[in-house]
Amino acid sequence: MSGKQYWKNQVPVILVNLLGLLALALFLVAGGSNIQSIVFIAFVWMAVLFCYLMIACFLRKRYLDRLLKMAEQLEEKYLIAEMVEMPWRADEQVFYRIMKMAEKSMLEKIEEVRRDRKEYKEYIEQWVHEAKTPITAMKLVCENYRFDGTRQVLAELENMNRFTEQALYYARSEHTEKDYIIREVNLADVAHEAIADNKYLLRRFQVTVTIDDMGKTVYTDDKWIRFMLSQFISNAVKYRAQHPVLRFYAREEEDKVLLFIEDNGIGIPESDLPRVFEKGFTGSNGRARQSATGIGLYLCKKLCDKLGIGIMAYSEGNGTAIVLSFQINDFVANVQG
Amino acid sequence: MKEKIMVIEDDSTIQEQLKNLLAGNGYEVETVTDFQDVAGQVRAFMPHLVLLDIKLPGSDGFAICSQIRAFSDMPIVFVTSSNTDMDELNSIMLGGDAFITKPYHTAILLAKIASLLRRAYAPGQQEVLTWKDADLHLEGSFIEHEGKRAELTKNEVKILYYLFKHAGKICPRNDIIDYLWDSKLYIDDNTLSVNMTRIREKLADVGLKDFVQTKHRQGYRLKNQ
Repeated sequence: MSGKQYWKNQVPVILVNLLGLLALALFLVAGGSNIQSIVFIAFVWMAVLFCYLMIACFLRKRYLDRLLKMAEQLEEKYLIAEMVEMPWRADEQVFYRIMKMAEKSMLEKIEEVRRDRKEYKEYIEQWVHEAKTPITAMKLVCENYRFDGTRQVLAELENMNRFTEQALYYARSEHTEKDYIIREVNLADVAHEAIADNKYLLRRFQVTVTIDDMGKTVYTDDKWIRFMLSQFISNAVKYRAQHPVLRFYAREEEDKVLLFIEDNGIGIPESDLPRVFEKGFTGSNGRARQSATGIGLYLCKKLCDKLGIGIMAYSEGNGTAIVLSFQINDFVANVQG
Repeated sequence: MKEKIMVIEDDSTIQEQLKNLLAGNGYEVETVTDFQDVAGQVRAFMPHLVLLDIKLPGSDGFAICSQIRAFSDMPIVFVTSSNTDMDELNSIMLGGDAFITKPYHTAILLAKIASLLRRAYAPGQQEVLTWKDADLHLEGSFIEHEGKRAELTKNEVKILYYLFKHAGKICPRNDIIDYLWDSKLYIDDNTLSVNMTRIREKLADVGLKDFVQTKHRQGYRLKNQ
């Protein structure tokens, strides 16, 4: 509460008192009182008024500061009405009731939005699962009748499957619930699965794939990692150069396992590098190819944050390396001996 | 003896294509079209293995699985489009032997089926493929002909395995590479040629000259006569 504003608000009170004092002084002058006693009365009156206003100001400030602090400490500020006691001043009681009303409607609105989002997320999950049935059917037909044409369809089906998965994981990443199970995961296995998911795509663009030195295990959710690796593979194919090469390898560093996904593609310009994980950022490469959505890496970053995995992108001139860093938990390491 | 597989899946295209795929790989296949009393149909057909979808009309895959478990230990593979951890956990708890999510890779599905069947019905049996007096030993990774042996590398075993499996038929190069990729060996066209040359040298050493023939622009074939 600002002091200056408080005194401004008290101007009517002071004016009324001055008016009263003037009237009394005139009355006393008319009654023949001497000037000293009138000055004395005026002095006492003003002193009492001043003391009252000072004390009231002090108490008021203390009360309001406490409210303000309470609101600041509260994480969900809209719940402040729950914390405040019913005030005793009539006008404040009205404000209190207004606050309560506002809080109630806010809570209802939040609940409604939350329910809508949950339903939407459930719908997306269901949709993805339904979409997988026709994708599987098409895949089976193509694999049963394999020739150059169906191989191209199979590559496109892999893209389609990746897009549906993207929708699924986007929906999951938005939600605060836990949708993952942490278990011991062999990095080589996940990499093999992700390559299998993109087999026809990699074969179609004649990408040379190598997996070196990957016998490391980490504690994480394999499905999420598989999805992310699929995104990196599709990026490597999308931004390939001549004779594309894709290399997976793992390194162990003090308390971390680092998984490298390296390609020899066109790379990422240095100016774009810090922003590749931003939502909707497509960079100069993406804009040139017009097929970038700016969702893939953003989503990967988000999923990594949820799983507690570090993610970095490096590029020097040409080629890109994406590095995932898995923390080795001391406790887990100790239990394992 | 042909091993019998029962496909319990409500999507008709997938059902038909799975039947084609499995029949093409030497299994006897039965599909379910009437989803009343599926467990009873399983009991009547008594397959060696069951492929089971979770979302089905009538009772779901989990219920059917526990009904089957009441009378048989046959391997059950859950094949489903929902990849939630709850479903996976449930399937394991109810006695499922494998959990594969759609869209699955046919190669992985076939490998899973073969390994489950081997584990359930023929444990410890070593796989040896034979064609025209040549024995391909998969476990030992060597080929034997008239008492002479040639050691093979991982790539070479896989390439020969594919040719032996399709013995007498022309195997397109692309199909061989596809198969190798499914076996986690990511080789390209040039590497296949290099491997092929080396295989021919090794075969010639054990007296199998011209065992693998090249069909121009079509692929390779094990010789017929």
